[in-house]
Amino acid sequence: MKTVATFALLILVVSMIFGSMTNNVSAQDDPTILLKIAKRAEEQIHNQISDDSSDKVKRLFEEGVQKVSALENALENNDISSAKEYFLSAMKIFTELSRESSPTTQVETNTIRNDVKDPSNDLQRLQVYVTSLKTIAKKYNTPIDFSELAELFSKTRQEINDNQFALALETLFKIKEKIVELNKELREEASKQEFQRAKEYAQQYLEQLDRLIENAKKQDVADEIIAQLESAKENLSLADDKNEIIEQIRKIISIKDQFELTKNDRLESRVLQLEKTISILSQIDGANLDDLKDARNIIQIIKRHLYNGEFETANDLLRDLAKQLEEIKNSS
Amino acid sequence: MNPEIVPIHRKEILREDGILFVRTEGILEIMIKIPLLVASLIIIAFTMPVQTSFSSTRTLDLTLYSDGSVHISSKLDVDPLDPDFELDLFGPSVDNFVAIGENGFLLSSEIIGDRATIDTFGSSTITINYDIQDLISKDGRVWTFSLDSPTYYSLLMPLNSIIVGMNALPSNMDIINEQTKLELGVGYSEINYIIGTTNPPVTNPPVTNSGQPSIDILIFALIGVSIATVVIVIIMTKRKQTKSLPVIQTENIFEPETNVVSNDVETIFNLRPDMRDDDKQIVKFISENGGEVLESDLRKKFLQPRTTMWRAVKRLERLGVVETSKKDLQNLVRLKKDVEKEE
Repeated sequence: MKTVATFALLILVVSMIFGSMTNNVSAQDDPTILLKIAKRAEEQIHNQISDDSSDKVKRLFEEGVQKVSALENALENNDISSAKEYFLSAMKIFTELSRESSPTTQVETNTIRNDVKDPSNDLQRLQVYVTSLKTIAKKYNTPIDFSELAELFSKTRQEINDNQFALALETLFKIKEKIVELNKELREEASKQEFQRAKEYAQQYLEQLDRLIENAKKQDVADEIIAQLESAKENLSLADDKNEIIEQIRKIISIKDQFELTKNDRLESRVLQLEKTISILSQIDGANLDDLKDARNIIQIIKRHLYNGEFETANDLLRDLAKQLEEIKNSS
Repeated sequence: MNPEIVPIHRKEILREDGILFVRTEGILEIMIKIPLLVASLIIIAFTMPVQTSFSSTRTLDLTLYSDGSVHISSKLDVDPLDPDFELDLFGPSVDNFVAIGENGFLLSSEIIGDRATIDTFGSSTITINYDIQDLISKDGRVWTFSLDSPTYYSLLMPLNSIIVGMNALPSNMDIINEQTKLELGVGYSEINYIIGTTNPPVTNPPVTNSGQPSIDILIFALIGVSIATVVIVIIMTKRKQTKSLPVIQTENIFEPETNVVSNDVETIFNLRPDMRDDDKQIVKFISENGGEVLESDLRKKFLQPRTTMWRAVKRLERLGVVETSKKDLQNLVRLKKDVEKEE
């Protein structure tokens, strides 16, 4: 009992240390940027304040300036925690001041309406979207013609430059219609290949299911459950529609969850991940082909271990292989 | 005789008076360690899947547009064993949604409310792009971006925007094509900003505690030194040239200007006898600089905080001695040509 408790505590402590270390690395702060942001905000508010501003506004601004000054001092003294506090306080004051010195809501409502009339942002967003669609179309080698869209984009840009927003909105409407058309064409093309990918995925799943059924038999799992898994496997192999494939796999996942047969799923997922990494690396120029061949052999060995229910050995090999692939990636 | 074999350890606790004694050795150890062990295992059960989960966000990049919409671009690791993946979007008003698998293939998706179901079919990473209207609100002139992020993310602010408030601490900041890009952490962040205002110059405030100077600073320093050298060389050359010019010309160019300035200052002081001494110094400095100077230069010269100098300038403005205007987004303070006599 004592040993188990100590071991459990050790795992807990180690996992927590490693967990927190990862977060710390990501959150490494550069405190000087706080001062940059605060100074810019101060400058902005300063420009907004005039003689006509109320005493409250002037007093608040003075307070904000003092906080920025304190922030600067704290940074000079390397007192980061105080610096963070001063930064947040200063920014809170500047937000309040911005709202205080803001014009009335009525005026602002008009401003919003005016902003909406300028469709520059709509144009920008649609351009980003069309760029994504172009990349996908290239991937599928589809003969989709984007030249008309390019012309329409150019026309909209010109209309916006000439402040002809109404015309620009009309052109944008045409662009949207054209995008719907192209999207339909692209998705039709994608769905043809999607079924093929779904079949490949189902095939991979069937292989894993073989290993799972074999392990279930070795672990003396009830015949009824094994029969259910075998039936599900049969249905999956017969599925000829992507939605049916999804449905059958969902059923298998449910059976596995029900009978707690998911313990090797994570290892199976890891195998898939590494297989994909090997595939990506093999497409990179300069990657050592012998290393990749070895990696593929190790994957086969790992699969055999999984098939035999030797999870610990499979896990160790997976970990080593992941490190090796990382090295191959870095050296290529 | 029916001798009963009693284990030695049981013999010890059996007393003659028949009172049942409970074994207390190690009870404290068990009472403390078992709950501790259970708690540890529960924490591990919760933390381990989070740390090793395949369904996690790898990158999250947000671009804010000046009309209050946000473009979201995210790369996620997903479980390759699952046929589909359910993704929580940052709101229900989604446009231009695209999900791409690891090989660049378009993935089918269905969006209901703020949840997208994507057919991943064995992909281990997916890239999501969409536009959303739910993350930004506006109150008066102030726009507010708010997000409770599950991961670290980058945020590209709109063009011509100035941050005037925030409740989170960014871990990094860059200026990309005159747009501010922030790196923010997990949790709730709220950023207030103003658009379409005068954009103050991006200045690097003096910070003495930074360990090593960054490459940017070094580059700027080198450029600065080069420019200064060139300027000095030009000035030296010009001086040599001016020395060789006729005396009459020198007098024509320099003398009258100096006289005018000094006369002006004296006149101003005579016209405003109640002017404070420190304000007189400011006026003198402006005069010596050709009659106009940036407010920031005044602060540097007199080592005064921004507000103190601002008040001084306002005082001189009220006295009718100076006038202010904007130059390169900064406050330019100019001596008035005709200072009227006080009534």
